[in-house]
Amino acid sequence: MSEMNESRRALLKGLGLGLATCPFALGAARAETAQVTAAPQQGAASAEDRVSPYGLHQPGIATNRPAWGMVASFDAIVDTPADLERLLRRLTERIRFLTSGGAVPELDPKLPPADSGILGPVLRPDALTITLGLGASLFERHPWLAPHRPAQLARMTSFPNDALDADQCHGDIALQICANTQDTIIHALRDILKNLPDQLVLRWKQEGNVPVIAPQPPGVVESARNFLGFRDGSANPDPADAALMERVLWVQGPGWAAGGSYMAVRVIRNFVERWDRAPLLEQERIMGRTKVTGAPLDHPTGSEADTPEYAADPAGDLTPLDSHIRLANPRDAGGERHLMLRRPFNYSNGVTRSGQLDQGLLFIAYQASLNEGFIAAQTRLNGEPLEEYIKPVGGGYFFAPPGFSNAPDDYLGRQLIDAIGRTPSKT
Amino acid sequence: MKTLPLFAALLATTTAPALAEQAPLDLVGPIAEYKLYVSENTDVLVEETRAFTEAVKAGEIEKAKALFAPTRLSYERIEPVAELFADLDAPIDARADDYEQAEADPEFTGFHRLEYALWVEGKTDHVTEIADKLQADIEELARRIDSLTFPPAVVVGGASVLMEEVAATKISGEEDRYSRTDLWDFHGNFDGAWKIVELFAPHVEDEAFLNSVEGNFDKVRDTLGKYREGEGFVSYEHLSDEDRRRLSALVNTLAEDLSTLRGRLGLI
Ligand code: HEM
Ligand SMILES: [Cu+2]
Repeated sequence: MSEMNESRRALLKGLGLGLATCPFALGAARAETAQVTAAPQQGAASAEDRVSPYGLHQPGIATNRPAWGMVASFDAIVDTPADLERLLRRLTERIRFLTSGGAVPELDPKLPPADSGILGPVLRPDALTITLGLGASLFERHPWLAPHRPAQLARMTSFPNDALDADQCHGDIALQICANTQDTIIHALRDILKNLPDQLVLRWKQEGNVPVIAPQPPGVVESARNFLGFRDGSANPDPADAALMERVLWVQGPGWAAGGSYMAVRVIRNFVERWDRAPLLEQERIMGRTKVTGAPLDHPTGSEADTPEYAADPAGDLTPLDSHIRLANPRDAGGERHLMLRRPFNYSNGVTRSGQLDQGLLFIAYQASLNEGFIAAQTRLNGEPLEEYIKPVGGGYFFAPPGFSNAPDDYLGRQLIDAIGRTPSKT
Repeated sequence: MKTLPLFAALLATTTAPALAEQAPLDLVGPIAEYKLYVSENTDVLVEETRAFTEAVKAGEIEKAKALFAPTRLSYERIEPVAELFADLDAPIDARADDYEQAEADPEFTGFHRLEYALWVEGKTDHVTEIADKLQADIEELARRIDSLTFPPAVVVGGASVLMEEVAATKISGEEDRYSRTDLWDFHGNFDGAWKIVELFAPHVEDEAFLNSVEGNFDKVRDTLGKYREGEGFVSYEHLSDEDRRRLSALVNTLAEDLSTLRGRLGLI
């Protein structure tokens, strides 16, 4: 609990100083609007923004999504529990350093520099978070690890509309790296690759961003738009509601996984040229919201914070029954157990062989139950009209372990290593 | 092979021999020994390339196929030195994707063009000129190496250059894509890097560093050892995902570690 209090204090301090970019600070004025996926506002973010790496839960999940994010997936070279512990400790060391900032070490100039230098000699935290996810393949490969696999963690399977590319799928370890700027996330990735070359082999990565919008009047928050031009994140659960977060996000005890969360990553291509040629009314009926404001179709002059009332529209005259939001969350009895927290980024990769833009959504969702959350929602979405405009090509399922504290010997994933019950010989 | 920026920069301003920099006194011995190692390999390369290109020209496809990988071994061992001569390295060892029209590009010559003729086209009568040119290029390379004063920084830096090569293009199986003899090339690159480490290790003080580097070379040998067959190696396709992952990690780690070798010896 003490770590939590510490990070709370840090947050409150940030609030007191008027740092609008501090996690939880945005959107306080409009409880119904999702804060995590609020669009970043010009001039609000600063390189000095610091998101504490410490806490009961890893940052980068319920903390505000900054403008840039990446998922990098790795093969892990690990034979023994001691190897895994070494990997986790070294990763933690990099996370502590990178998220706090400071001067990079200076070496003899005859040697390669310790740091890529792309951020200059002094790192600033820039709201950097590095969130660790563990893949099913890591657990399956080792008999000593298999019994500790989080109950619902499995290899991602293909859904009917998927065209998965093996080179963009799965992985033993995923890192979600987020920050205010692209340079900061690239710097963090290069630092980790340079410092852990013997244990982490990069498999794939996808980075993305969300549009930074003009400064808004105090208290006005809007969700960032995705590459289909719609506000994305409007109906996200409210991270300030701690009790809700316990149910939606955090795996409950007993067991080492308590306080962790399932991470579903999907690289979903958007056929943007085709989308841009679809009539506006059709786009809105496919999504279930208006394009300009994000208001639900049954409150078209309202705001994105309004809640659709499907009970009053049983035939789907206002919000089509097969619209994205109605399928993803029918808001019926017991619907809450299907909630998840979405934290996506837009990606833009280049041009396909057909001369079309290779753009899409780096979809990232966290939930306490992978089966009830992402998998159930995606299963309901199978066959949705939106499929004509999207194609999932990559991703994977991972488990984000609980957080770690600022005690000098604590590290990310310690709960797992303790559970394995390795004899305490140090490497 | 792509010429690395360091060499490109050096070559842009001057020709390779003029790079010579006075070796610190205690490095004179190992550098002389390395020069010997290179010239032994070059001698073998000239002879074996002759046998290989003659088989190609005679249309002895099976014989030429059998000679392809062993012939390249000597080249791969001394690649950092061969790469000093970009005007030769490209025609000798470039891959199809170094050219805009890939395999169809008239500029595409050398080992990999012949590899393509042998394994994909299944005939050689149209590549006899390319075979002659390869032999001539190799002989020219041997002459140039012979009169080269070995710059110490390039020699010592060669160890990490070889690892960068493997990390950037070989681990993926891009190098010998038609014949799948990539494991031979790996082996040649590791051999060449190990030779440099072996020669210069006595001048490095950091025991932990040396132990780590030597340990990683041992692991590479063990891993590649599983794929030995006769004088050489099985097809790259037999390399398991698990071992490819391991080799990747080993190569990346060796590349990081060996990137400090020049600095540790006071060379830049
Ligand atoms: C490229 C693919 C996708 C696009 C463009 C997209 C877009 C949107 C948009 C614009 C909204 C409405 C605003 C909001 O509440 O956030 C929305 C809502 C939602 N989406 Fe998606 N989405 C995509 C994929 C997915 C996937 C793969 C899932 C999960 C399997 C998903 C689950 C949801 C959920 C749960 C909601 C909230 C529904 C509600 O509670 O009313 N979306 N999405
Ligand atoms: Cu080569």
